[in-house]
Amino acid sequence: MRRAYFKNNWIAALVVAPQLLIIFVFFYWPSSQALYWAFTLEQPWGGGNEWVWFENFAYLLSDDRYWQSVRVSTVYALATTALAMGMALILALFADRQLRGYKSFRIGLIWPYAVAAPAIGLAFRFIFNPSAGVASYLNYAFPDFWDPIMNGSHAMTMVIIAGAWKQVSYSFIFFLAGLQSIPRSLTEAAAMDGARPMRRMMDIQLPLLTPTFFFLLVINITDSFTDSFGIVDTMTSGGPARATNLMVYKIYEDGFRGLDYSGAAAQSIILMILVISLTFIQFRYVERRVHYT
Amino acid sequence: MIERTPWLNLVTHAILFTGLFILVVPIYLVIVAASQTLPDVMAIPAKLLPGDQLLVNIRAAWEEAAFGTKFTNTMILPTGVVVGKIVIAALTAFGIVFFNHRLRMPIFWMVFITLMLPLEVRIVPTYAVAANALSPFQTILDVTGFSWLINAVSGIEVALEWNLLNSYTGLIMPLVATATGTFLYRQFFLTIPDELVEAAKMDGAGPLRFLWDILIPLSRTNMAALATIMFVVGWNQYLWPLLIITDPSYGVAAVELSRLVPNMNTTGGDIPNWHWAMAGTLIVMLPPVAVVIFMQRWFVRGLINTDK
Amino acid sequence: MKLGFISVTAITAALCASSAFAQEEVKFEYWYGLSGQLGKVVQQTCDRFNASQDEYEISCIGQNGYANAVQNSIAAFRAKQHPTVVQAYDAGTADLMMSGEFYPVHQMMTDFGIEIDWDDYFPGIANYYASSKGDLFSMPFNSSTPMLYINKEHYAAAGLQAFPETWEQFEENLKALKTAGQECAYGYAPSTWIDLEQFSMAHGVPIASNNNGYDGLDSEYLYNTTIHVKHMENIKRWYDESLLEIRTTQGGLNSRDSFAQGECSHYFGSIASHAAVGKLVDGKFEWDVAMIPVYEGTERKNTVVGGASLWVLSGKTDEEYKGAAEYLKFLATPESEEFWSTNTGYIPVTKTGFDALVAKGFYESAPYKGREIALQSLTYTEPGPLTRGIRLGGFIQARSEWANEVQAALQGDKTMQEALDTAVERSNAILNKFARTYRGKELP
Repeated sequence: MRRAYFKNNWIAALVVAPQLLIIFVFFYWPSSQALYWAFTLEQPWGGGNEWVWFENFAYLLSDDRYWQSVRVSTVYALATTALAMGMALILALFADRQLRGYKSFRIGLIWPYAVAAPAIGLAFRFIFNPSAGVASYLNYAFPDFWDPIMNGSHAMTMVIIAGAWKQVSYSFIFFLAGLQSIPRSLTEAAAMDGARPMRRMMDIQLPLLTPTFFFLLVINITDSFTDSFGIVDTMTSGGPARATNLMVYKIYEDGFRGLDYSGAAAQSIILMILVISLTFIQFRYVERRVHYT
Repeated sequence: MIERTPWLNLVTHAILFTGLFILVVPIYLVIVAASQTLPDVMAIPAKLLPGDQLLVNIRAAWEEAAFGTKFTNTMILPTGVVVGKIVIAALTAFGIVFFNHRLRMPIFWMVFITLMLPLEVRIVPTYAVAANALSPFQTILDVTGFSWLINAVSGIEVALEWNLLNSYTGLIMPLVATATGTFLYRQFFLTIPDELVEAAKMDGAGPLRFLWDILIPLSRTNMAALATIMFVVGWNQYLWPLLIITDPSYGVAAVELSRLVPNMNTTGGDIPNWHWAMAGTLIVMLPPVAVVIFMQRWFVRGLINTDK
Repeated sequence: MKLGFISVTAITAALCASSAFAQEEVKFEYWYGLSGQLGKVVQQTCDRFNASQDEYEISCIGQNGYANAVQNSIAAFRAKQHPTVVQAYDAGTADLMMSGEFYPVHQMMTDFGIEIDWDDYFPGIANYYASSKGDLFSMPFNSSTPMLYINKEHYAAAGLQAFPETWEQFEENLKALKTAGQECAYGYAPSTWIDLEQFSMAHGVPIASNNNGYDGLDSEYLYNTTIHVKHMENIKRWYDESLLEIRTTQGGLNSRDSFAQGECSHYFGSIASHAAVGKLVDGKFEWDVAMIPVYEGTERKNTVVGGASLWVLSGKTDEEYKGAAEYLKFLATPESEEFWSTNTGYIPVTKTGFDALVAKGFYESAPYKGREIALQSLTYTEPGPLTRGIRLGGFIQARSEWANEVQAALQGDKTMQEALDTAVERSNAILNKFARTYRGKELP
């Protein structure tokens, strides 16, 4: 790791102060209040509460439906991250070759990120609707091939594809930025040594891209755990029979719609612990393979 | 650098075309729906070719949702988020990468944890903070007894108040307070070779000079990527503005768009004017797309090599 | 003396003070949940109210969804920035009732000397929003009740004429339609509101003990022991025999839109969809509505209201309350009821409003013809202890438990009885938690 540092820690304190101040006021303060509810039975309109220690947690952890939600979320997170990053990485590597017309490709590949969420839900319904959508043509050919309404794994597949789609552009743009900050002199030198483009990709670009890769891995996994509410809400409402009942959707459903603040707070804490441990594992084991300098 | 790689070029184009196709299909369907009549949108099986109602629907959406007055207005929100986030993120990452102090990792994790709890989950207490941004400090003063002390000594009653409802500050601040940017900058700063730092110190450049003259120009493409993403995220913010803005003069386009989306959760059900909602989507999409295109000019290889 | 008053509020307060001389209008806020076309009509009621007088100015803010409206009001209430009036949906009001943080409209109207003939409200509507003594907590607003929608052309093609009054007849009709080659005879989407709540009302069977929760917080669900089980088993059988097809919003076209496309011959939905169905069908085929069937040997009871009502929250000034009272009174005038019923599919909530529409011949021709049947259904009998409505905490989660278990049964993972038993067991845990949250309090 780094050996050269600046000495003046007062400046360090000064530059981190704004961020810390903002997250204290707008994140930690309100979050700690929300998390406090996890240990109480909170009345939503603010009429008071009763301290119940870990009862809310005990209730959740003894509920097999909750564990199913944890499982489903994990599958969703891993699948969307793998799909989105895989596709984005391949596209970025090839777009970075800067062949003719690559600028339009670049815009075309980033553009989907700008589409507002409700429209995406509807567009995917057009695609996946088993009786009227694009998928219905498959069902003509093979009856009962595709039924996301009643088949849990089909519904899950649908949600994963839509979730991954949303993240491809996001990952693509950062991969591309990462590739572009690799100095041209490096690849040129390798080309001079007779390394062909594919070899240069494997030997130079990919290793130098690992910091970006690590950033995206952590962000994508975190996001797919904590930011997947909208997709599930518009596409499956957690069904059928809880097959797509992701943790964050359940939190939203119980807390925001059902006004069970305490239950939702307890679930939030469990979700946070889960994501923090996953992140920690990534920092501990994956970051070791990242080439920074 | 001139190489002849005809096969690889063909493969490259094929892959890019396939990727583009997959990514653009849903958008194509949005356009299809936006160009159809109401019965066509609902048709069984779905009609997958565009109709001729695009302009009609766009006009209808424009009139239904009063985007006109909201557009310039809305620019302030994502612009504020982008600027705020980039500045704050770069500073924080700088503070934890280039200084050797014990709080480096704790600070990084403290910032990072903000990613783990989405706004939706903590919206009730966050609203309370937006209604009075100084309430945390007030509470701290009250709990620690300082308020009482000040009151007893000077007879002044401490009542801190800073109401951020219906203000751009209130809209922007909670959205700035997240970790993505800090993490990205940290990743980038870690790739800066030690030699560069040593050289800067040798030249007698202080930390801030080093940040401004060396790091910021080097991080240009990353900054462009971050700005593009954050602009889109800020532009499409919906839940938070919906809550804290009750004065229509601060309204944002994404909220207006959501008013166009048919309400399917009432027991009755609304007229499914999806064709208008889709046309509205196209309208609301324009500024972010413009930003994507504009930001392209920043995606050029740095002229200065980091010379590793 | 106050220290450190970094004040945006001070400036706005000063501005308000100066403008107060210019106009004396009292301003107050109303947050509503309806969006889309319906939200537009709500906004128009506000504009009409503002134009009708110059003492008050109501500012109506759409929150795009019932859940948002309630949630945002809570957030604002806790920070003392809440609106005076909020639109809350039927299933989301138990917490509000328990909190006591509202101004019962009955009380408010009395306090401000505004005369309202409470007996004028249809009992099937009023009881739902009233205290056990019958005093209204909230003002009925967008009101509906479920109907059976029937494609008359499909009926004619299958040689059917009479609309089904019983589920047995309904099944016969499904079979006849199937025999006549109709692919989708019944577009079905699992819905607690129709399959459980309104079904139980019409059959006069309980959903939960304590008269569906009206008489206390220590209630338990009972629907796994009533005729509801038989009905759901029939649904499952019809699904297996392809007499019904599942059509949910999640699958693309929901049951209403599949019906309106002429794909499915039947669907059950709120009378509020009458307007949307009319617009979507657009004269392409003949259709009509009927009351939801009951099983043979059952004495039909009234159904109850669905939709939302308007709540007045506590902690506001008398001037604001006066304005709110005037607005609510304005909504209850026959003119407003006519405006609302004409522009949406919702039904009038007062007898006077309904009679005025009947006298005008409103219900005699398309597109409004048929909507009067909803009122027949609502007023079929006088509401009894089991048909007043439902007052159960955590009802949103209970609905979701029911839906998920029913989906599991439809998938064939378990029998319907097992599914409903599980749903009841899990929903009872929710009720129990609700009761503990409000320990020491009683339903008002």
